[in-house]
Amino acid sequence: MSPNALLSVSGLSKRFGAYRALDGLSLEVAAGEILGLVGPNGSGKTTAINVISGVYAADAGTIRFDGRPVGGLPIHRRARLGINRTFQVPKPFRSLTVTENLEVASAHSRSGDNQIRECLELLALDSVAGREAASLTSAQQKRLDLARALVARPRLLLVDEIGAGLNPAELQLMAQTLLAIAGSGVALLVVEHLLGFLRAVASRVVVMDAGREIFEGPLDLAARDPQVIDVFLGR
Amino acid sequence: MLSYTLLAGLLFGLYFSLVAVGLNLVFGVMRLINLAHGDFLMLGAFLAYGLYAAAGLNPLYAIPAAIVAFMLAGVALYYAVVPRLQASRDPQMLSFILLFGVSQIIEALAVIAFGNNQRAIPATVFGSRPVLLLGQSFPVAWVVSAAVSAVALVVVYVYLYHSRLGYATRAVMASRDEAASTGINVHRVSAIALGTGLALAAVAGVFSAFMLGSIEPDMGIGITTTSFAVIVIGSLGNPLGTVLGGLVYGVGLMVMETFYPSWADLLPYVLLILILLVRPSGLLGQRVRLA
Repeated sequence: MSPNALLSVSGLSKRFGAYRALDGLSLEVAAGEILGLVGPNGSGKTTAINVISGVYAADAGTIRFDGRPVGGLPIHRRARLGINRTFQVPKPFRSLTVTENLEVASAHSRSGDNQIRECLELLALDSVAGREAASLTSAQQKRLDLARALVARPRLLLVDEIGAGLNPAELQLMAQTLLAIAGSGVALLVVEHLLGFLRAVASRVVVMDAGREIFEGPLDLAARDPQVIDVFLGR
Repeated sequence: MLSYTLLAGLLFGLYFSLVAVGLNLVFGVMRLINLAHGDFLMLGAFLAYGLYAAAGLNPLYAIPAAIVAFMLAGVALYYAVVPRLQASRDPQMLSFILLFGVSQIIEALAVIAFGNNQRAIPATVFGSRPVLLLGQSFPVAWVVSAAVSAVALVVVYVYLYHSRLGYATRAVMASRDEAASTGINVHRVSAIALGTGLALAAVAGVFSAFMLGSIEPDMGIGITTTSFAVIVIGSLGNPLGTVLGGLVYGVGLMVMETFYPSWADLLPYVLLILILLVRPSGLLGQRVRLA
């Protein structure tokens, strides 16, 4: 394990029946770094986030956060340690207002700091703060999902396909937001299909296929790697 | 006659709201239908009857005992059963079967403990003078039952909409995974919701001798069916929608009892089928399904 790694995952495996979703995945993310996680559909990216955040228990492997093993902790305990996440399909607390969504997250966070106003402004949600979450557009719900993770004062933020469905202007804004979050010292693991978006934010990527890492390094080098090309183009 | 029927319907509506609100709370938080709901209400009824028969206690004294005992029972039942159910491949179907089994066990044990005879608590335990409401005279037991139901429903409202636990509960209702990922202890919130649901059923049971006619061990299944009709009418998964469902059911029941008494027993089934055909998301609509 690198001495700078905030998150260190080693030999992570997860099966669903006969289907092996993760097959010995290992990766590390340092504080203030944005690591991209890419791969074709079904390669295990979202499963990796689900296992690291605690939605699923790993069948094998270790997850260390700040040097401490967290693989046996339930999801809410990991969240209170500072492992927070967004979801591929956001499900905000629909009957609560935007502000109430953030208040709930803040009340159960590790710090209990009230950063709600700052998060509303950062994610451009201040104009809809009093509205029920159910009434938001899909782009606003994605921003609310991120705001809810941010208000918990994460140390590690797991971001699952937050660019999907956003228009170019929204993507640019989201990229700037993620860079600002990383600039504050938060480690980010970003699952994304939009390689242009990922190029704008991630200094390094891990490419996955069939639950395994097949490449680790800068995205531009990944695009020239024969194995990565083979996986993406199916040759 | 009509104004009496409508007022009586509102009194019974409040009571049926209390009967069903716990079932809806549990469904909203855990997405499972507690088929033993009516059996827990029956146990609350026997608790009140037992205290009255043994010590002559007014049923109102059974309320705190019912709340404490059934809250603890609900929390214990949750931790004993639900986390294992949720780890299974089909938790909803498994919970359906398991809770049906719990219902049968409770009923069988109640028959062993109390026998098959119908029991009653005299309505005069609250006094013999009727209460005048808007010029109409009602048994005091009905008014007390409706008043306690109203207080209990207000407590549920405060719990859900004006407490930190309530906000967490509504977050869990929206999405268990997202709630957990924001640091909410979903199991603790759910256990408290199940305990609260059972306690509400037991409090409703305390008054069942006055509102449902008699107490007997096999009354649970009918009450579960009625409760299910009430929550589907209001809105499945939305505890406050239960109040609307309860009032519609109560007024409907009183109208049927007054003008078509031989058809009254069909009411829950007819309302259930009608609402599922005409407005399957309930009268309060999609706020719940999507909540």
